[in-house]
Amino acid sequence: MSRFVLKRTAFMLVTFWIVVSATFFLLRLAPGGPFDSERRLTPEVEANLLATYHLDEPLYLQYFRYVGGLIRLDFGPSLKHHDFSVNELVAAGLPVSLMLGGLALLIAFVVGTTVGCVAALHHNTWLDSALSAKLTLGLALPPVVTGPLLVLVFAVGLGWFPAGGLDSRWSLVLPSMALSLPFIAAIAKLTRSACIDVLAQPFVVTARSKGIDSVRLVSRHVLPLTLVPVLSYLGPAAATLLAGSLVIEEVFSLPGLGRYFVQGALNRDYTLVMGAVVVYSALILLLNFFVDLLYSRLDPRIQTDENVRATVS
Amino acid sequence: MTHHAARHRLVVGAVRALFVGLVLSFGGLLHAESVLRIGSPGDPLTLDPHRYTLNVEEHILKDLFLGLTTMDESGAIVPGSAESWDVSEDGLEWTFHLRENSWSDGRPVVAEDFVYSLRRLLDPETAAPLAYFLYVIENAQDVNAGSAPPEDLGVSALDDSTLLIKLEKPFPYLPERLFYPIANPVPRHVIDEAGSEWIKPKNWVSNGAYSLHDWKPQQAVVMKRNPGFYDAENVSIEQVEYVPVADALASFHRYLADELDIVGDFPAGELDSLRDSHADHVRLAPLLSTMYLVFNVEQPPFDDVRVRRALALSIDRDKLTGQILRSDEIANASMVPPMVAGFSSLVPTDLLSTEEARSLLKQAGYDDDNPLKVTLRHMSGAENKQIHVAIAAMWQEIGVQTVLHHTELKVHFTDLGNAEFQVAQAGWFGENNPEHYVELLWSKIGNINYGRYSSEEFDALLEQAKDTASLEDRVELLQQAEQQALSDHPVVPLYSVTIRSLVNPRVGGWSTNPRNSHGVRYMTLD
Repeated sequence: MSRFVLKRTAFMLVTFWIVVSATFFLLRLAPGGPFDSERRLTPEVEANLLATYHLDEPLYLQYFRYVGGLIRLDFGPSLKHHDFSVNELVAAGLPVSLMLGGLALLIAFVVGTTVGCVAALHHNTWLDSALSAKLTLGLALPPVVTGPLLVLVFAVGLGWFPAGGLDSRWSLVLPSMALSLPFIAAIAKLTRSACIDVLAQPFVVTARSKGIDSVRLVSRHVLPLTLVPVLSYLGPAAATLLAGSLVIEEVFSLPGLGRYFVQGALNRDYTLVMGAVVVYSALILLLNFFVDLLYSRLDPRIQTDENVRATVS
Repeated sequence: MTHHAARHRLVVGAVRALFVGLVLSFGGLLHAESVLRIGSPGDPLTLDPHRYTLNVEEHILKDLFLGLTTMDESGAIVPGSAESWDVSEDGLEWTFHLRENSWSDGRPVVAEDFVYSLRRLLDPETAAPLAYFLYVIENAQDVNAGSAPPEDLGVSALDDSTLLIKLEKPFPYLPERLFYPIANPVPRHVIDEAGSEWIKPKNWVSNGAYSLHDWKPQQAVVMKRNPGFYDAENVSIEQVEYVPVADALASFHRYLADELDIVGDFPAGELDSLRDSHADHVRLAPLLSTMYLVFNVEQPPFDDVRVRRALALSIDRDKLTGQILRSDEIANASMVPPMVAGFSSLVPTDLLSTEEARSLLKQAGYDDDNPLKVTLRHMSGAENKQIHVAIAAMWQEIGVQTVLHHTELKVHFTDLGNAEFQVAQAGWFGENNPEHYVELLWSKIGNINYGRYSSEEFDALLEQAKDTASLEDRVELLQQAEQQALSDHPVVPLYSVTIRSLVNPRVGGWSTNPRNSHGVRYMTLD
């Protein structure tokens, strides 16, 4: 086990270093710099700005300066948000993004498994087909479409929830709903097929013949087994969810990290984009790592060696 | 039994607490009446007036600080921290007489504050992106380049209420330049103590109608009325919140849901239906601006004036504004927007002629067998796309094959600055000052003259204008210079853009103006 953990940790650190370095150099390849705009800068002004942020140094020096800062957990000053450091911006944005992602994942998990089980129990009936059709629709519609639709109905039309911003506790309802929809669909589909498989197992037939009611049957005996594929999906799902939250934060004007990521990229705010990439990639790597561990714990049939990586990734 | 009653009370208590909690949280949602909420297209990147670059920041800073000059509700330049000013005969020495006003911490604003602030602006340490706006001040460029100490800047305090600014060259538009936040006074007594932290709400001190109360990035800039402001008795709104909404559709929805009182943009497609449903909310205002096409005159085929003239002659501006944009944009054949006061362009307006265009192309060696092929570059966005598709269609009528190439704003302007284009969309915003637009064609202005146009006659006229102190003579020279340059067609001016705003009718004192400047101090809330 510990050898497995060590190996995974080393693998994670190397991946992280590659992501950080690649992003650092790729960003500099993008045309346009942080201080280009339709308003011109005089050579004097540009020289002053470049010197302030050490952008006049050779690239390798800038890289070492950045990695040095990163080791001390210092993301440096934002090139555009002059009044804040990247650390301050990440500290302000990350909790919002985590809350949004967490809520969406929770909704997706609860609703998805429930719908999946219901559909499986009514396998090959009208209810099953109706649910499946809805799920396909949910998978096909991206949050960038469902977000504004939800706003039109529940904020502009009915006035139940805020249309954007983070001014009240109800602000996260619509965004997390919009964000969770595709994942509800995916999880429900996974649960449904897993559930159908399990329901066909001999021990279920035995339990049924003993007269167990279906709620008890599902909650006690079927659900734990169907959760294995769902859990293994949650790791990659969390990563996709983070990507989806970039769009959702923009649509609902939420002050999350994703919005800094998008705007930082458009502004060529190198340090801010790097900060966001570092945090996101660390999150994704850690999530996958924990899911790997959890997965091997849940199902003891799986050995913690080479085939784990093959099954999970 | 008693046990049961106690449990009952507990349940009732819990329900009540829950109810109160719900009411309170809804109460927080319905904002207080005296709070004005303005949607702005993005978060300010800084509130340091010397480091600002964005329009969004300009709007917020004009409420927080009071420069020597300011704008009234119609967008006209009026006295601000300076009550009045005198100009020497040669136009080089400007003496400003300050009014009595204090910082939001009660300390009086004195002439020395302006001296400190202008030196700070031009100090290379500050790295102010827009420092060059005030290169007209004596020694400003040398100070900014680090080749002269800040003390050499031509600004001095004659006494507490008199400020002298010396210029390099006569510049009659100085009061307009001083409106920009870069010329705002910043509180030296706070900066000396708090350093770069002076900008945080807890340390904030400013001299405008409002002072900064809170700033949550991406959420809101919250400001409160400054009771020490000299005209505080005429400022009626207690609290203002600038809410960043990057997406035009999102800001539109939030306006409809009554979460914002003013939004500065909404999707163009909504205009027709809004004109029916929200007629008293929609405000359209032409902005001091010029959108134009620029030719790269250093490379074939646009090194040939006949080709440039042919393409210019075939564009129907009225079609672009009247049938495609349809938000009351003003078609314009001059580089100088029609709202610029006192300037009457000598550029002919009704040139449209496809016949002449065809024959010019023929003379230049292009016809149906050997058609002219060009790449037209524009910025991304639905509206930009529509406009340039229409232009390509107009050029097709004279036998020109156009490839459209769009990129995001940063890439677009970087490539334009490097002259990596054939013909491209460009735009210029800003001042009530014809020179600001005409000088874009000056061979010495640098890469903002994207097409690298160079004409000795034009340069001579422009430089003569720049040395002239009399505003009338100056404008006349500028008119001649523009006429001279545009007869070479280095650019095709198209139109002035319209700012589409939604303003809740309960907001008073918001009037449309060509600078899109709306000081909250002039507004009221019903």
